[in-house]
Amino acid sequence: MDKIIKILIKYYPVFLKGLWGTMWLATVTLLVGTVLGLIVAFLRRSRFGVLRTITAAYIQVLRGTPILLQLYFFWIMLPRLLPFTLSDTACILTALIINASAYIAEIIRAGIAAVDPGQWEAGRSIGLTEVHLMQKIILPQAIKNILPALVSQFIACIKETSLASVFFIRELTTAYKTVTATTFLAIQPLLISGVIYLVVTSILSVVAGRIEGRMKASD
Amino acid sequence: MIEPIIRVIDLYKDFGPVKVLKGISTDIAPGEVVSIIGPSGSGKSTFLRCLNRLEEPTSGQILFKGEDIMKAGKRISLYRQKIGMVFQNFNVFPHLTVLQNITLSPVLELKVPQKEADAQAEALLSRVGLLDKRDVYPRQLSGGQKQRLAIVRALAMEPEVMLFDEPTSALDPEMVKEVLYVIEDLAKSGMTILNVTHEMGFARQVSDRILFIDEGIIQEEGDPDSFFASPTSPRAKEFLSKVL
Repeated sequence: MDKIIKILIKYYPVFLKGLWGTMWLATVTLLVGTVLGLIVAFLRRSRFGVLRTITAAYIQVLRGTPILLQLYFFWIMLPRLLPFTLSDTACILTALIINASAYIAEIIRAGIAAVDPGQWEAGRSIGLTEVHLMQKIILPQAIKNILPALVSQFIACIKETSLASVFFIRELTTAYKTVTATTFLAIQPLLISGVIYLVVTSILSVVAGRIEGRMKASD
Repeated sequence: MIEPIIRVIDLYKDFGPVKVLKGISTDIAPGEVVSIIGPSGSGKSTFLRCLNRLEEPTSGQILFKGEDIMKAGKRISLYRQKIGMVFQNFNVFPHLTVLQNITLSPVLELKVPQKEADAQAEALLSRVGLLDKRDVYPRQLSGGQKQRLAIVRALAMEPEVMLFDEPTSALDPEMVKEVLYVIEDLAKSGMTILNVTHEMGFARQVSDRILFIDEGIIQEEGDPDSFFASPTSPRAKEFLSKVL
């Protein structure tokens, strides 16, 4: 225990910077992933079969392969394909975003599918165009299903960013590796990182529960 | 002869291998009140839902004032503005207030100024006795009130035809009358109405014509008094002996 305290006193900036890196990665992943996921979800419903097939394959590949493999793939391929140099962080962040977009597209699809079909019919029967129907009737109701799931996705993002430590990108698991490498202590830095993850995800779980409760209450 | 407001020619609808409508043809005159009755699963609701293409017919023609709505493409919403519909399950918008439910489409699609739409909605609400509910959300309404709201929401588009798909089937018995009263009022005002119903007494009372549909075709049609007093087709006889 006193070792943990000593490590905390000496290395807390490393953990804090790590936590900052983790939260930054996860937040950008969720935000950009949501925009991308929304686009994918709508292409998934496109009138054009080709677009539907492509987006279905996109989702299947990203959800059906290990995320660590995807990180390697982007880390290796992006610098080769792009004409400009890209930092490791940018490559990994891109991979995290694209991976998250597949999951978020499914969250949005499921949220829309959960809206009562009668709402579509009623909206159409009063002559709403499909765009207005989506904007004013379907999405406002789908949000209730989507928001709680997005907070869960944020929790998943926070945990998945730990994989970025493989590429030594600054985040919480990398912080653990750094401290272990300098102190030669294996267990204590691991526990500290673990507890920090747990505190953050627990807080978010409570937030998710609150949101869900509020959404149900407004039905 | 007056041009029919809706003309249906040889309408077929399959759901996969199941043939639900097997060639329905009929003309609806402006101002006519037509009740569609028949056993459950006979295709009467499907027929109604084809008229504004909530259900896509397999083949056949539906003419609204002489124009084929099967060829409307994206302009289908323009026809739907002219053909109001009321559903068994109300389908009011739970996230909008009563007033917003009514004014949404007039403001968005007909470009009615919000103030004008509000005033029109209030007039409609007072007509069905719901003016005091204008700012509440639908969850605070009873079934009968929701259905009256649904009717008003459709009327706000100033439709030329109203389709009612079993409007009282999901209501508690004590709320049926308040909804039927509104429909009757509408019928008297000269609105063209197609009403799929199980309320035989009501159908007899308000209709100009009864369409009896079974097995996906119109088995019999006629004025309500002679239909209910002396049906001629065996299927109609059998049906009426069960429900009356």
